[in-house]
Amino acid sequence: MSALPLNAASLVEAPEDLDELIEFFHLRRWSDGLPIVPPTRERVQRMLTGSRRQAHEVVARVAPGFGEATVERIAINAVMAGCRVDHLPVLIAATEAISDKSFNLQGIQATTNPVAVWLIINGPLALQLEVNSGMNCLGQGSVANATLGRALRLIMQNIGGALPGDMDRATQGQPGKFSFCCAENEAQSPWLPLQVDRGFAPTQSTVTVVGAAGTHNMNSHAKDADDLIRVVADTMAFPTSNDYWISGEPWIVIGPEHAQILHAAGLTKAEVKQRLWQASGLSAKRMAKVEFQRTHTARCEELGAIDLDSSLPISSHADGVGIVVAGGPGTHSVYVPSFGDTRAVTRLIES
Amino acid sequence: MTLVYDPTAPAPGATQNLYHRVGNLSGKVVGFIDNSKPNFNFLVDEVAELLMNEHGVKAVIKRAKRGASMPATQQVLDELAAQCDLVVTGSGD
Repeated sequence: MSALPLNAASLVEAPEDLDELIEFFHLRRWSDGLPIVPPTRERVQRMLTGSRRQAHEVVARVAPGFGEATVERIAINAVMAGCRVDHLPVLIAATEAISDKSFNLQGIQATTNPVAVWLIINGPLALQLEVNSGMNCLGQGSVANATLGRALRLIMQNIGGALPGDMDRATQGQPGKFSFCCAENEAQSPWLPLQVDRGFAPTQSTVTVVGAAGTHNMNSHAKDADDLIRVVADTMAFPTSNDYWISGEPWIVIGPEHAQILHAAGLTKAEVKQRLWQASGLSAKRMAKVEFQRTHTARCEELGAIDLDSSLPISSHADGVGIVVAGGPGTHSVYVPSFGDTRAVTRLIES
Repeated sequence: MTLVYDPTAPAPGATQNLYHRVGNLSGKVVGFIDNSKPNFNFLVDEVAELLMNEHGVKAVIKRAKRGASMPATQQVLDELAAQCDLVVTGSGD
């Protein structure tokens, strides 16, 4: 039998009793506070059958601690979160995605801001894995939505080393840090799906990661596209948003009913983005004075001379407004402001 | 007892070497990377005065980043590396 590589995960002795074992994980700060599924040798071996990759292959180094995310360590955290074997390729792709420089994981993990990593799954695999894209897709009730997001959080905490109160400096955090995952409701979207916007084929399955600073319900019974765009854009423009001071990348989860209203008015997704971008300019004088100073420092190269009479764009261009169609029946869409200094990253999920 | 996997990853190998100590500050040029958070400028002005008046620092050079969560530009790094004996590169809230 060949010797294990240096980056092989260690086996440790733990209590056999399940309650005691769960406490053993809590005491070591290896959990998120919820009970875990014990990552035994058998369970982890079974999880590893979900990917063709070698167990000790390094997928990424995860900020801010830059621990090595091997396929094996990803599988261990997936087991703990309650993931199924066929979830593993999604988590490998998601770990690669969060480690892309443009995502700015170091900032996201260590910031005082309440940033959750939102996973958006597209393509045939979303259906196969039963990732909820319909009613309550950002809520509870789906194994995939609950465990994929949870597993990524455990990866960020255990491999990336961002323990709350230590390297994770979040002032309050947010519930999405337990799990934040959904699929796009491609069947009820009037437009091409997100992964196609981002250069992939409709037959390919992808995961997109977003540095999300929260969710805000936008309940509107508007049936007129112009009216709907006006109220959504008005919701986007709030003066304590990170997106305005640094030029961000906010997202809208458009409910299928709202999407149909926009589509029926003849608007493409690109046109909706353009309209929202134009209508969501924030009057600089609405900001706290000190925030305007920060904005001036951060965006003077991009915007040139700005003053308190300026209208600040939410992102540097209209395509910076992200759109995904998700949810069930109802007059709701969701605004997802971003961390600001982050860009969404999409990765192919290996089948 | 039972065997389970440790889900954490060890810190990367210590391949980074610390630069040599600068000894006392007399006659040295000190750099600061301003993280552009409110009031950093006041704090660093105060520290600069202390460094020059009480520790003999020759000069303090301050250069700002666009924002706290993004790295300084290569130009700023090159400039500080060329001119300073030591640089305070990180600052918390």
